[in-house]
Amino acid sequence: MSGEPVDRTPPEMLQGTVDILILRALAWDSMHGYAISAWLDARSGGVLAVNGAALYQALHRLEHRRWIAASWGRSENNRKAKYYTLTPPGRARLRAESDAWRRYAAAVTSVLSPA
Amino acid sequence: MPRPTSRLFPFLSRSRRQIAREVDAELAFHLEMRVEELTRAGLAPDAARRAAREEFGDLEFTRAYCRGLDERTERAARTSGALTELGQDLRHAWRTIRRSPGYAAAALLTLVLAVGANTAVFSVTRAVLLRPLPYGSPGSLVSLVESSPSYPGGLDVISTPNFADYRAAQRGLTGLAASDGRSVTWRPASGDPELLDALSVTTNTFDLLEVRPLLGRGFSAADSAAGAPPVAVLSYDFWRNALGGAPGVVGTTLTLNDLPYTVVGVMPRDFTLGQDAALWTPLDLARDLAHPEITRKQFHLRAFARLKPGVSLALARADLQAISRRLAAQYPEADRGRVVDLVPLRTALVGDLATPVLLVQLATGLLLLLACANLANLTLARAVARRRELAVRAALGAGRWRQVRLLLAESLLLAVAGGGLGIALAVAGTPLLLGLEPGALPPLFPVRPDPVVLAIGVLLALATGVVSGLVPALGAARADLQASLKENGRAAAGGVSGERLRRILVAVQVGVAAVLLVGAGLLARSFARLTRAPLGFEPDHVLTAEVRVSGERYDDPALVNRFYDQVLGALGHDPGVVAAGATMKLPTRGWITSNLVVEGEPNDPTRPNDIGYLLVRGDYFKAIGVPLIEGRFFDDEDTPNGVGAVLINQAAARAYFPRLDPVGRRIRLGPDPSAAWSVVVGVVGDVREQGFDVPAAPAVYPDHVQNTWWRSLILTVRTRGDPLRAEPLVRAAVHDADPTLALRAVRTLDEALGSNLAARRFALWLVLCFAGVALALAAVGTYGVLAFTVSSRTREFGVRLALGATRRSVLLLVLRQGVTWAGVGLVAGLAGAAVGGPLLRGLLYAVRPADGATFAAVAGLLVSVVLVACLVPAARATRADPVESMRAD
Repeated sequence: MSGEPVDRTPPEMLQGTVDILILRALAWDSMHGYAISAWLDARSGGVLAVNGAALYQALHRLEHRRWIAASWGRSENNRKAKYYTLTPPGRARLRAESDAWRRYAAAVTSVLSPA
Repeated sequence: MPRPTSRLFPFLSRSRRQIAREVDAELAFHLEMRVEELTRAGLAPDAARRAAREEFGDLEFTRAYCRGLDERTERAARTSGALTELGQDLRHAWRTIRRSPGYAAAALLTLVLAVGANTAVFSVTRAVLLRPLPYGSPGSLVSLVESSPSYPGGLDVISTPNFADYRAAQRGLTGLAASDGRSVTWRPASGDPELLDALSVTTNTFDLLEVRPLLGRGFSAADSAAGAPPVAVLSYDFWRNALGGAPGVVGTTLTLNDLPYTVVGVMPRDFTLGQDAALWTPLDLARDLAHPEITRKQFHLRAFARLKPGVSLALARADLQAISRRLAAQYPEADRGRVVDLVPLRTALVGDLATPVLLVQLATGLLLLLACANLANLTLARAVARRRELAVRAALGAGRWRQVRLLLAESLLLAVAGGGLGIALAVAGTPLLLGLEPGALPPLFPVRPDPVVLAIGVLLALATGVVSGLVPALGAARADLQASLKENGRAAAGGVSGERLRRILVAVQVGVAAVLLVGAGLLARSFARLTRAPLGFEPDHVLTAEVRVSGERYDDPALVNRFYDQVLGALGHDPGVVAAGATMKLPTRGWITSNLVVEGEPNDPTRPNDIGYLLVRGDYFKAIGVPLIEGRFFDDEDTPNGVGAVLINQAAARAYFPRLDPVGRRIRLGPDPSAAWSVVVGVVGDVREQGFDVPAAPAVYPDHVQNTWWRSLILTVRTRGDPLRAEPLVRAAVHDADPTLALRAVRTLDEALGSNLAARRFALWLVLCFAGVALALAAVGTYGVLAFTVSSRTREFGVRLALGATRRSVLLLVLRQGVTWAGVGLVAGLAGAAVGGPLLRGLLYAVRPADGATFAAVAGLLVSVVLVACLVPAARATRADPVESMRAD
């Protein structure tokens, strides 16, 4: 995440896209919301930045669907933070969504590439 | 990154406020982190805060969104959490139960028996006593009963003119209807003729009962008018079974008694007036009303009515009684002393059935109580034995409620399994049970496992589970934690309260068993006396069959006589037949009543106006084995148009001829004062005509040869060998005499009489079963409790023996305990039986409710069973090894 204020509302970001990005972020480890946002920023080089409103709405939505579970813990700077963990159903969901995305992306790429 | 602290149930039961706080904290954390980062990058704190807020997006909406979502998540988690815990409890209970199959089997068996019996019996109770009669607004339906000096209890039959007078003068009823039973010969288009039960009913009957026909119409007033074409309404069963349920049956014709009856309707399934009837035809009151001087003394109509809205039973009764007093004054010959009464229709239809049904229900209720006590006892013993396990659980943090729930889960699991099996048993077994005694319940009360019955069964099972589980569970959960942990299992014989509870349970079991055994004993003694009571005839080796001469040609008495003479003659000449005769009604099946005037004697007003009247013919008395006391039986001198010949029984001889020899005396029978005199030709032995439990009353037996107006007779054939082997013979004889006539109810006399005892035998059989189960449960319960006490006190006994106590004294110590508990229960049970005994009065015969012999036998039986049950654990106590028990610690 960069140090400058940025416009973090890419209008073309679909709700489902935010969801799959969050699941992917949690694939390796538990993270709190701010860390997820930083991770996304860094991984996509700032292209897939998600604003806080969309992020937290998505997190709570995913928790309600039991794809992720939340618990309170201590952050790096020793502050109370809410950590999210991928649940087994969440992991299955991530796998399915990733495959779908890849197929979709490949299809779009092949359509766009010169014949 | 540090691992988040893990908790098993992260946010168990968060409140709304908590959720709001957590959402705020989470969002605040995010913003602060961002502000810190921006500040680190060089922004002024104020600018950083503004930028962070700005790039976050809609903070307020997100806050509200997350709170709402979290509340929903929380609710869902709470529900699934409760389900999870329930699942855990049940799984745990299942494992625990599986570890002790003996306990499980005992508990299941107890439950299956108790719940099964209660469900089955309740289905009968509901059918007989609780389910509304299958009529519209059944609560306002009443039945007319007339009592007379000879029948102070009242009879539900009245005379046609009285019925008409009540109907014309009464003011409290919306209508009166009447029915009269008869049998008709139906000649189907193909096949053998059949004799059917039918009822003649007034044309307003179906409307009064507010029951609409399933097909076609009921009767209209025009159907009973003079010269109206004969019509019939069919019962559902007859329509389905005999006519194949043809939808176009309305408008077709049935040949009944040689007359073409047009079918105008079919009644719905289960519709009945309380008597078997294949069909209903309009009742012709006009014929009887044409000769009121005779018919006022013939009591054969069953009358029922509906109260006017707003009129009470008492008011309507008073109104009718005023009319009946007027009739008694106006027609003293027929109505002197007769008083009308109104009773609710249900009471009239249920009749004698209420007592046995209530009794059996009471017995099953006691059985359930016993089962509860037994289960509670078993559970208690187990809970005590597991006290250490429970204490460990408590020490590890299980709340008291969770402990109770765990024990309760076991009881409930057993209750659900046992109850389910019990209900299934009841549903499958009830029809089989009723099938054993088909005559036990009248057709008005179809017994079906309807939802109410099933719900009651489930409720009983659950209640049993809760009661038998909760009492010990609460006791166990109260257990002193520290004491239990310190103690070894051996000492966990239960605190003072557990001990007292077990004693009470043993006492309850023995007490309930005593009540049931006394009841069963009294009924069994009554039944034994009843079946051994001198009936006055010999029912073995007799075949009976009902045959009715029907059709207009039999309006000629000569043809009636020719038919019966030919049948009885053919039978009498067969070498396998000892004697053949016929009667209006079989013994114990009742009679019609008449009055008897002895020539030259003043008509004594104190003398009973009613004498039993039964037409017989042929060698009837020889066939059923009734002795001739003096005079002669009927013979060829008694011709159809000769002087009327009658036989009387000894009771009638004593009542009407106290100082004279009755043989040869002239008497006049029946209501018609101008009737010809008859002659008493003989005196026969007394026969119980009105029922097994009714001693013989005066009866007169005129010769059917001279009274052919009665069309339907029951043939009685005494055979040398097996009476059933004579069936083809009887069929052939009837067929040869008239192939268009039908035979019905071909069976032995024993069988025919047996169905009369069916209800009584059924109740007895059930109560005996319950008493047996109760005895077994009480024995097992006493044994179990004592065995448990002994095993947990082995060390104490060992010490006692080591200190010099004799084995005998230890044996007596244990015995005294068990016998004392059981003794308290026994005394209480016998006292209860003595108090409740009068309930049985209506069912007892020649046995008093406080029958000393029965009480003594029950006490003796229970004491010996309890002694045996106590002796086994007591003997084990004496074998406690002093050395072994000293070393055990």
